[in-house]
Amino acid sequence: MTRRRLPEWFLLLLPAIIVIAAVVLIPLIFSFYSSFTPYKLTRPSTLWKWVGTYNYEKILSDVKFWAAFGRTILFLTIALNLELMLGLGIALLVNKVTWGQRGIRTMLMFPMMFSPILVGFQFKFIFNDNIGLVNNIIQSVGFADVALPWLVDGKLAMFSILFAEIWMSTSVFAILILAGLFAIPRDPLEAAKVDGCTPWQSFRHITLPFLMPFIFIAMTIRSLDVARAYDIVQIMTGGGPARRTELLWTLMSRTGYVDARMGLANAMGYVSILLSILFTIYFFHKLSAARAELGMTG
Amino acid sequence: MDLTLSHRNRKRGLKALHFTALFLVMSVICIPGLWIVLNSFRPTIEIMAKPPIWSPSFTLDHYRAMFGGAGEGGVPVFKYFRNSMIISITSTAIAMLIGMSGGYAFARYRFKGKNGYFVGLMLFRAVPGVALSLPLFIVFARVGIIDTHFGLILAYVAMNVPFTVWLTDGFFRQIPKELHEAAEIDGCTRWQAFWRVEFPVARSGVASAAIFAFLTSWNEFALASQLTRSVNSKTMPVGLLDFTAEFTINWGGMCALAVLMIIPALVLTFLVQKHLIAGLTFGGVKG
Amino acid sequence: MKKSRIISTLLSTVAVVAMFESVQAGEFDGVTIEAKLIGGDQYEGLYARISEWETATGATVDIISKKSHFEIDREIKSDMAAGTTSWCIGSNHSSFAPQYEGLYVDLNDYVSGDTVAEFVGGNINASTVGGELLMLPRAQFDVSVLYYLKSNYTDEAKAAEFKAEYGYDLAVPDTWAQFKDQAIFFADPPNFYGSQYAGKDEAIVGRFYEMVVAEGGNYLDDNKSPIFNSDAGQRALQWFVDLYEAKAVPAGTLSYVWDDLGAGFASGTVALNLDWPGWAGYFNDPESSKAAGNVGVAVQPMGSATRTGWSGHHGFSVTNDCDNKEAAVSLVEFLTSEESQLAESAGGSLPTRSAVWDANVAAAAAGDDAFRAESLAAFAEGAKFAFAVPPIPEWGETTNIVFPELQAAILGDKTVKEALDDAAEAVDELMRESGYY
Repeated sequence: MTRRRLPEWFLLLLPAIIVIAAVVLIPLIFSFYSSFTPYKLTRPSTLWKWVGTYNYEKILSDVKFWAAFGRTILFLTIALNLELMLGLGIALLVNKVTWGQRGIRTMLMFPMMFSPILVGFQFKFIFNDNIGLVNNIIQSVGFADVALPWLVDGKLAMFSILFAEIWMSTSVFAILILAGLFAIPRDPLEAAKVDGCTPWQSFRHITLPFLMPFIFIAMTIRSLDVARAYDIVQIMTGGGPARRTELLWTLMSRTGYVDARMGLANAMGYVSILLSILFTIYFFHKLSAARAELGMTG
Repeated sequence: MDLTLSHRNRKRGLKALHFTALFLVMSVICIPGLWIVLNSFRPTIEIMAKPPIWSPSFTLDHYRAMFGGAGEGGVPVFKYFRNSMIISITSTAIAMLIGMSGGYAFARYRFKGKNGYFVGLMLFRAVPGVALSLPLFIVFARVGIIDTHFGLILAYVAMNVPFTVWLTDGFFRQIPKELHEAAEIDGCTRWQAFWRVEFPVARSGVASAAIFAFLTSWNEFALASQLTRSVNSKTMPVGLLDFTAEFTINWGGMCALAVLMIIPALVLTFLVQKHLIAGLTFGGVKG
Repeated sequence: MKKSRIISTLLSTVAVVAMFESVQAGEFDGVTIEAKLIGGDQYEGLYARISEWETATGATVDIISKKSHFEIDREIKSDMAAGTTSWCIGSNHSSFAPQYEGLYVDLNDYVSGDTVAEFVGGNINASTVGGELLMLPRAQFDVSVLYYLKSNYTDEAKAAEFKAEYGYDLAVPDTWAQFKDQAIFFADPPNFYGSQYAGKDEAIVGRFYEMVVAEGGNYLDDNKSPIFNSDAGQRALQWFVDLYEAKAVPAGTLSYVWDDLGAGFASGTVALNLDWPGWAGYFNDPESSKAAGNVGVAVQPMGSATRTGWSGHHGFSVTNDCDNKEAAVSLVEFLTSEESQLAESAGGSLPTRSAVWDANVAAAAAGDDAFRAESLAAFAEGAKFAFAVPPIPEWGETTNIVFPELQAAILGDKTVKEALDDAAEAVDELMRESGYY
């Protein structure tokens, strides 16, 4: 009666596996199944009707879905890139500060503490075209007859939700890149100075490569969380007007909850999960490449 | 002479530029938040005023109303706060234990398909809350843990475990194996060796993972709005919606609750910000 | 002293007993009724009365959820999906009721015909789906009428200028065409706007629906096939487009729903505003509104064909899975009783019982609050033209299809015809999928 003992590493991982299976895997299997049914929340019996890939065919041939899909990718690309550049810029600025840096660092983390739903409400309020802070300022500094429809105009609405998203998430980049700047060894930089490199050259060839892993960590952390933008967009514009800010997530939640067509929504959900997974894998890949380059593989 | 002067001027110009840029950036970061704080102390008619009123008057009405009874605009703030605290702290603690154990497994053992397990674990974190909320609700409802602290704690533990594994894995890897081998030679069990030798070294990584886990749970909305029902389990982000009715949004009241929501996060982050930065970078980069 | 106290106690006991003719004291001792109710200041006053019912019947009411209507709708749908529907009473709305197929009992089986007959017939019809009375209406009937700033009609220079430009006398508009002229005339963006409208979700579709009917068309035909892309529909949508293009409405209007509209009119910077009864008190209260004292209320304007009013009302329903339906029905009857409606409509909302309408109108006419009398008269008149949305589960879903198309036309992304045709095509597909034809 010798039972084979489970290896120790597996025992250590077991709690994590169990919790994730219970909370994520089982629901995902359920929703995967339901994406092949015409499941309506208000008609539970529809869960047992198999329609094959009907839902997938429907969304894949739907222009509105593809528009939302494309817009989501555009949104993420712009947001992540700008967050990175702004984060880098802010980190460089703060790194030069010699006095009161600790306080500034704390302030920098301010937006990280805000719940995304609060950020949504906050910017809905600030960008309100009638009583919002931004328009009030514009009108008070002399452009009395300007009332920009921040949340309505096609371009401005996209700008507004991007602004909110970037406001919330740039800190992560700034903080991580700042930590990277602290860790840069002094010698190569000084050597470069002696060799007559311009500041730009030493930044480009010494500082930036060293920062790459930090940048990719930030990217990876962010890519795990991209769907948080849903809370913001849902509150600020709800995907409107005229679908100008419709993202995959707002489309999905409207289809699922308001229209109660969960089968269809889950099919969209799978596309959005796939998207998140691709982003994550991409950045993980980049991260390990950057680590390898710096010889940091453990 | 002339040269040094222009050099000095240029330097001064650069310094001014740097200062201005920094000031602008910090303003953009701080003003939206401060605007919320400010509005929580202004009467509604002034918030809604057009043309805008710039010199703010001060009132505690929104706070008084919020703490007041039902029907006077009261919201069960204390219960929400308590729920948020219980759920965030418990789920963070459990996620840390489970995550550390997983991180340790990745850092210290060799096994087949390690990378596969690791990336697989991360991918579960990437599932958008909004895609997960309904299936999770149906599963939880069948088990009967809707509207309980337990249900939400379970969900948040699962959400936070992958990230914790990632960060602690990096930390444990940095610690030389010799350390716990030495401890084992001294007669410690592996368990004792972990708590006496390795855990203290990895502390700042653990702290940063814990803050992240706490903030994630504290601020999460998509799942909480689906898995909570009554004041018995509603958390503060869900409570914010109490200020929106079919016809109105009570901005002032919402700002007041928002302020209460930010304070604990602010205090916590301020206390441990040093660990946060160190933890994130080492955990991630060297992992 | 003592005597009078005894008498007053006696009197109040009599009053309580009289209130529940059909209820015997202690009838439901030990019963607990779980309820999911709509929250918000406007709605919660009524819930204070629940304790009276508890005292009278011995039952306990446990409010297990209190949320805004959209939130509670989502919650109830989730409950249906998960089968967690053993709670007893749910807040309901005429526009939402048809969606909850099989969730709620037919109240005709529990409530006497006499009681049902005391409610306004139109409200009972709108609460009935497929012959089943799914809810009893509370005193939260919604139809919108015209709120306007009176000062715009007392300025003689303005009146002369208007007459010169448009060729007829400036007076409170009685047709949508006049409304449009005046809104454009009064507008001075961004400081003052002629009007505003809800620009998204069900809100804009409901208003559009109302205008389509006013222009002589309809939203769906008898087969539930979409016909809103008719000429009447195009005229209706053109009205929204014209106002938007003339900048007579705030550019942000497309992101507004009711809260923004209410705040807008209360800021005193909007001349004409079609809005709900719940706002009347708010608009004329100096504490909350800059327009206070300057607010006029008139019946909603008519279209080229007729005068109509998109309407809806709140009510309470009892679930099929409820363990003690008699107790639950008793509470629903209590919350919608004449006394409850009198109390609730005292806060400014509109009743759904004929007797309460009469009492309120009479009281307002006799009272010294001229504004209250004016607004109540306007709403009483407006209610006569009220219609409810089609009682089909797909109503909400059609609005989600239609509103982005309306917005696209208003913003100029599409022409009016294109937008309506696209919307009709998508609604047609939905109806076919749902098996109507």
